[in-house]
Amino acid sequence: MIELKNVDICFYVQENGFVSLKDFVLNIGKYNFLQKKFVLKNINFEVKKGESIALLGKNGSGKSTLLRALSGIIEPEKGEIIINGNVAPLLGLGVGLEYELNGLENIKLSCALMGMTKQETKKLLPEILEFSELGEAANWQVKRYSTGMMSRLAFSIAIMKQPDVLLIDEVLSVGDLGFQQKCLSKVEEIKKNGATIVFVSHNFKEVERMCTKGAVVNNGVIEYFGDIQEAGKRYHELFN
Amino acid sequence: MATLRFDKGFINAVLSIALKTIKLRYKNSVLGIFWSMLNPLLFLLILMIVFSKINHIENFALYALSGLVFWNFISASILQVLTSFIDNSSILKSMNLHPFSFPLSAIVAAIINLLLVLIPFFIIMFFLGYQLDISLIFFIPLLIVTSVFVLGLGMLLGTLNVFFRDIQLLWNTITPAFFYFTPIAYTPELVPENTRHFLKLNPFYYFIECFHDIFYRSEFPNWTNFSVCVLMALLSFTIGYWLFKKFRKGFISNI
Repeated sequence: MIELKNVDICFYVQENGFVSLKDFVLNIGKYNFLQKKFVLKNINFEVKKGESIALLGKNGSGKSTLLRALSGIIEPEKGEIIINGNVAPLLGLGVGLEYELNGLENIKLSCALMGMTKQETKKLLPEILEFSELGEAANWQVKRYSTGMMSRLAFSIAIMKQPDVLLIDEVLSVGDLGFQQKCLSKVEEIKKNGATIVFVSHNFKEVERMCTKGAVVNNGVIEYFGDIQEAGKRYHELFN
Repeated sequence: MATLRFDKGFINAVLSIALKTIKLRYKNSVLGIFWSMLNPLLFLLILMIVFSKINHIENFALYALSGLVFWNFISASILQVLTSFIDNSSILKSMNLHPFSFPLSAIVAAIINLLLVLIPFFIIMFFLGYQLDISLIFFIPLLIVTSVFVLGLGMLLGTLNVFFRDIQLLWNTITPAFFYFTPIAYTPELVPENTRHFLKLNPFYYFIECFHDIFYRSEFPNWTNFSVCVLMALLSFTIGYWLFKKFRKGFISNI
């Protein structure tokens, strides 16, 4: 279950750059040298366990920031985010991969970065290798991989542990057609096992298939939250 | 934001990043770990040629080498901790890993690297006349205190560096100055007595002198110096961690 109550999320940016180094030294401890910028304002919604919702909106409307807040990477400025269970963020595929290491070493590294212990990694390793279909390429350095192979590896690592909450940021359309289908059915399997899913995608067909509800994010506020078809309509209206 | 918990997962993440760093540093290089040795050895040669005439002390080679090895550790590891947030910006932005794991794994990697090169260096020190002494065991607490100091100072500079990239360049520029300000290429006795106390304004003076005590003089560190080291380590870590905690919510939008 996910619940957001009056959540504000801010960025702290420097508007003056070098000039403010002096200000910073003079005001050490205060926040003056960083300007606060609201990215999301007064966000309220609730997603029940096992439900899937889609976040729809223009580029730069704050969808990814919202996912980051849900995954705990950004702390909300105000309000409360309540999440039950463990969260698996799929925010950027291939983050944390080291090109000089081979596939197998990268699996171990990525699992560690995701907070898994050695034993957990060991248990998941065969599944990850099988799902990625990399075969003998698992022993190659990742820098020799094609883009598709890289995505397969990254996706397989990210998705293999059954989470309670899965956050997906436009990462499903990777690999060839066969692998895309496989990814979608894996996500559906995770969903069937009871996970809550928050999904960002610009592919409305995918969204329709996965989600029953949608939220339209525009200029940092949620303009609509409810039925997916209606959300899709409102999303299209943004561009007219 | 994720709270800091030293559980199995966190420790595994820190160790994995540290081991990866070491692995990557020497991958695809023929001489591998020997590069970490070559630098101090080359410097030792230079110091022997240039400075041994003016340093009228017994066994200048051992003095210079023991100073160089640990100076290299201190200066390199501060830089690695300093840049650790920026080096891992993509992970910081999209994985829910506590950001403290980056400076921590940087210092762990530096310590592992030091221990690896210390084995051959120790053999060289023996050849240069190191006298084995019980005081050697004090190397371990001294290394821990030094690492805490480095971690704190590195985090302090690293946090500022997220917002002002000048810090990194500034540090690169003043590191050589600190090298000559610290008694490594010369002994403190060589400095005229009326200006000698200026050396003590340099925090690195105390650490290097403690390492000299153990590896050059074969005795326990001067307790006054070591106490100063402990105090500086506590102070540096407190300030560094405080600054990091205060400003880490600005990291995502400035990295």
